[in-house]
Amino acid sequence: MIASLGAKAVQDVVDAGRFGRFTWRAATTSLRSCLVRGTFPLVWSQVNVIGVRSVPVIMITGAFVGMTLAVQAYDQLAGMGLEEHLGVLINIAVVKELGPVLAAVMLAGRVGGALTAELGTMNVTEQIDAVRSMGTDPIRYLVAPRLLACLLLTPILIMYADVMGVIGGALVSFLQLGINSRAYWNFSAAGVELWDVAIGVVKGFFFGGAIATISCYKGFNCKEGAHGVGQACTDAFVASFISILALDFALAVIFKSIYLTFWPIKSLV
Amino acid sequence: MTADIGVCGLEQQNDQRQPAGENGAAEIQIEVRNLTKKFGRKLVLDNISVSVERGKTTVIIGPSGCGKTVLMKHFIVLQRPTTGEVYFDGQRIDHLGERELNSVRTRFGYLFQEGALFDSMSVAENIMFPIKQHFKGVTWRQVEDVVKAKLAMVGLDGFQNYFPASLSGGQRKRVALARAIALNPEVILYDEPTTGLDPIRSDIINELVLKLERDLGVTSVVVTHDMRSAYKVGDRIIMLHNGRIIADGDADHIRDHPHPTVQQFINGQVSEDDLAVLRMSGAVATSQFLPRDFQQ
Repeated sequence: MIASLGAKAVQDVVDAGRFGRFTWRAATTSLRSCLVRGTFPLVWSQVNVIGVRSVPVIMITGAFVGMTLAVQAYDQLAGMGLEEHLGVLINIAVVKELGPVLAAVMLAGRVGGALTAELGTMNVTEQIDAVRSMGTDPIRYLVAPRLLACLLLTPILIMYADVMGVIGGALVSFLQLGINSRAYWNFSAAGVELWDVAIGVVKGFFFGGAIATISCYKGFNCKEGAHGVGQACTDAFVASFISILALDFALAVIFKSIYLTFWPIKSLV
Repeated sequence: MTADIGVCGLEQQNDQRQPAGENGAAEIQIEVRNLTKKFGRKLVLDNISVSVERGKTTVIIGPSGCGKTVLMKHFIVLQRPTTGEVYFDGQRIDHLGERELNSVRTRFGYLFQEGALFDSMSVAENIMFPIKQHFKGVTWRQVEDVVKAKLAMVGLDGFQNYFPASLSGGQRKRVALARAIALNPEVILYDEPTTGLDPIRSDIINELVLKLERDLGVTSVVVTHDMRSAYKVGDRIIMLHNGRIIADGDADHIRDHPHPTVQQFINGQVSEDDLAVLRMSGAVATSQFLPRDFQQ
């Protein structure tokens, strides 16, 4: 038993090393690719797959997050006579936390799964070996465009989710809960800072990088057969999901430190 | 060709390289020395040394799973040796980084067993792929002309707009061959080019291999277990068994080889050991339970 535990630990360390090396190669190759004109058509084709086709599902996610927050938070605030502050609560939660995280989780499922399945199938049918055999770096041709597209598009998609979350929360607050719209927007404008919106968007950059890197890595290293590709997709989603949550926590701590460094006394709403 | 060409270290193996029928020293283009490959604890290639002569067709035969494809992937360093060295045109290549290897790989064409065509691209786009990757200044018209010429060489001109999914197995292999020769390689590596094809389609592929050798003067390495194909295209045949070379020579040498495993393989005979296993399985089958045995 001790031997098998040791072997598992060694394998985990080897896998972590492989992933680290893959991430480093993907990052450096993507940076170099930014300077090459031939990269842009490849990135553009991924923009359509990763970005354009994800817009509806991301907007729906954002809208429901805002609407649900409004319904859930209203009773607590109304009990204290603070129902007109509902906009602050909804909008901060949407732009800072729930919008970015839930949009990223949705992208991990939709985009990450598709990337892993596509690259995994290419791997088991030797198409990635074929790319290598023709003297082309598969990291440059297959990974860099997907990574660049995810880095570029995840923050933009998060902004879509934010906008829809804000609109969804506002509509439920006005139409269903009967909150005065003028007071709602006034308190929201006072309580939500550009910093809060920026945090969510910057988080999207990191989430996009994590989703693309993990999904491509799992696709490149998936095992033979349909079961292997399916397992790689599951592993990619689980790993992306955990990475999103871990990154969210780490970035929350970092951004809070930065905020407190520059603005030690935050005005209370 | 002389008796001492083409093979390094075969004295460690069970067979000596036999003359292929010509005089004069042949030039070695690809060489592996003391190659061992392990996947985890599984030993796939066991201290193999072999070389491939320029302008000749070398065929690697052997039973499924004996390491033929793994050996051929080492020629182009799609696999890295566990120990040992790989040389191309006298230059050691197994320790090169991927970026340095890319320029070496453009001198090879590789026909994968299942074709490995990009299924999201049309036939024309598949053949254009290596050209567009390595020749940035060429015009669309020039690329189209090259695609047309390559498809004509494999008898598929007019199939430019088809997608791989709509082609038959033989057509896919021919398109894959057209893609493999798109950069006018010096060496073409064929991984089981006739597997899964009917005898006529197989012979078309064999004729293509011979045509490319004749017309383009390329060096060819063919991995196969189709002996008809091996005899037809091979200037030299190497047999692998359990990760080692057990026979190496021209077609006549292989036909008359004394090693029982070689004779079993080339004649397609099942061994006594395999028969014993089959008989045992039969005994087990008769003693197995039937559904009615479970009925009360």
